[in-house]
Amino acid sequence: MIELQEITKTYGEGAVATPVLKGISLRIEKGEYIAIMGTSGTGKSTLMNVLGCLDKATGGRYLLDGGDVSSLDDEALSHLRNRKVGFVFQQFNLLERASALKNVLLPLIYAAEYPADADKRAEKALTAVGLAERMRYRPGELSGGEQQRVAIARALITDPEVILADEPTGNLDRRSGLEVVAIFKRLHRDGRTIILVTHDEAVAEHADRIIVLKDGRIAEDRRVAQPRDAEAELRDLDEKEAGQ
Amino acid sequence: MRLLRISQEGARALSAHKLRTFFMLAGTMAGIAALMVIMAVGKGTERKVMKQVNNFGPRAIMLIAGGGRDLPPPDMTVTTLRLEDTDAVRREIDGIEIVSPMAWSFRMGVRREGKQYQAVVWGVEPNWHDAWNWHAREGDGIAAEDVATLARVCVIGKTIRRELFGDEDPVGDHIYLNNVRLTVKGVLEERGASPMGGDFDNRVVLPITTAMRRVMNIEHLGAIRIIVKDPSRLREQTEAIRALLHERHHITPPQEDDFRLVTALVIAELARGTSRTLTILLTALAALSLVVGGVVLMNILLISVSERKREIGLRRAVGATRRDILAQFLTESLAVTFLGMALGCALGLGLCAIIRGVSPLPVAVSWEPFALAAVFAFLVGTVFGVQPARKAAALKPVEALR
Repeated sequence: MIELQEITKTYGEGAVATPVLKGISLRIEKGEYIAIMGTSGTGKSTLMNVLGCLDKATGGRYLLDGGDVSSLDDEALSHLRNRKVGFVFQQFNLLERASALKNVLLPLIYAAEYPADADKRAEKALTAVGLAERMRYRPGELSGGEQQRVAIARALITDPEVILADEPTGNLDRRSGLEVVAIFKRLHRDGRTIILVTHDEAVAEHADRIIVLKDGRIAEDRRVAQPRDAEAELRDLDEKEAGQ
Repeated sequence: MRLLRISQEGARALSAHKLRTFFMLAGTMAGIAALMVIMAVGKGTERKVMKQVNNFGPRAIMLIAGGGRDLPPPDMTVTTLRLEDTDAVRREIDGIEIVSPMAWSFRMGVRREGKQYQAVVWGVEPNWHDAWNWHAREGDGIAAEDVATLARVCVIGKTIRRELFGDEDPVGDHIYLNNVRLTVKGVLEERGASPMGGDFDNRVVLPITTAMRRVMNIEHLGAIRIIVKDPSRLREQTEAIRALLHERHHITPPQEDDFRLVTALVIAELARGTSRTLTILLTALAALSLVVGGVVLMNILLISVSERKREIGLRRAVGATRRDILAQFLTESLAVTFLGMALGCALGLGLCAIIRGVSPLPVAVSWEPFALAAVFAFLVGTVFGVQPARKAAALKPVEALR
């Protein structure tokens, strides 16, 4: 359902032109759980921005659900992001002055039709990430892990096919990180496509497939034979802490 | 619907930053308040002018004895204005409806049964009632026969009636003017205060012949009131009368006139008086406030766009188009100016109430300033909001999120 053909991305022009992606071809099927890895500066964030239609590739073709994204204008890309993509960022990016519920509702403001049951949907999404009791809290009153779970609920509200997460555990402690990863695993089991960008091998190994970028190209594309189980690791963590 | 949802986002940002919002709207508020006051004072002045012009008579010319430029107090020592001048005006000037000569005294003791009062005394012809549109409310006015026979009769104003007669019926009773016993024929309609602060109703009107020969013992007139048929010819006819009087009184400019011609135009000019300076001052203040307020608004919005880059990036990521962002920031700007307008209107109304209470300036609140305030709020909000909104909309999502 996602197909990249010889995607290139170059910043700047002429003498200062800096190629970041140097020809990426990639196919991601519906329902895959994929981790994109690489050290900083290898273009993994750029690749994610292109995948999420936040940025346009300089060259190559990007087919999303069979449609060519490369030729779309800014407005069409905005609508596409609203309908098909849910973003989760390292910095959470929540609106400080709005409640968790209002934050989750944000993407619906930009939907073509505001659903009549919007509040119910938002409550459901927050319940799904374990925040049923925290809906009226503002981001400042929530822990980092809770904030990231609000962000995940926000990504889910429009029922997108793809969840794009850029270093979602980067600002979290081990336990909160595992909780977030466990949620991704559940979403994956429900049939959603998850694309996770991380530099952390341990996080990446929760995915079914790992793509390693090196200097703007795909250096490695492998299946994970035995993905790690976040739920089990959380239980281990509980036991260890209980034992101390 | 979508636009409405986006507008609500703009409004929410404002209520979240109350102090910042106040600074953004302060200029608009001050400007609109000043605008309200200007227009209320302007309207009040125009009403006052209209009222005074109507009191004076829009088609009236007062030919007053004695030179100078301004209105009375008339110079009682000038004796050159004569009844012959009245006839000359009637004869020589066309398009005239009424020519009504008056002999007057502005302080004359009126007595009745031991009570005395200082009154304005006018000797008039019967057409005086029409010339001033001022008739007897009770009894009768001055008649042609009264003038012909030097009748010892008079018509009195309401103040004289109150002071000398109290609750008694004055018609048929008598008063004394300079020891001349006059029968009261009637009581004049009430006119109230004059624009100069005098009392119109403190007045005794008697036949001009009686006044000149029996009471005042004079040969000259105080003034001639002339009513023209066509108000658009007022200026032209005034000049014709001036020329006629120059000829009759042997005056060659630059020699000073021994008479004054006062028209509704002069009255309007005088009534406007100082309010013009105030209007100019306040207009400048309003314009300045609106421009300064707009610039402050723009700058705060520009800062706010920089501060809220991540928020803008996030909104773009979850599906906001450039136009949505533009709309949100324009809504913010317009909400600020319209809020400023509402507060400015309230402040302006408050100021009008204060002005009405403590100053003699006429104040009249009407709907026009509210409409104009809305127009200005829209203009300031759009003109100064569009650049920050464009800046916000132009942000690339990837860069805004960085």
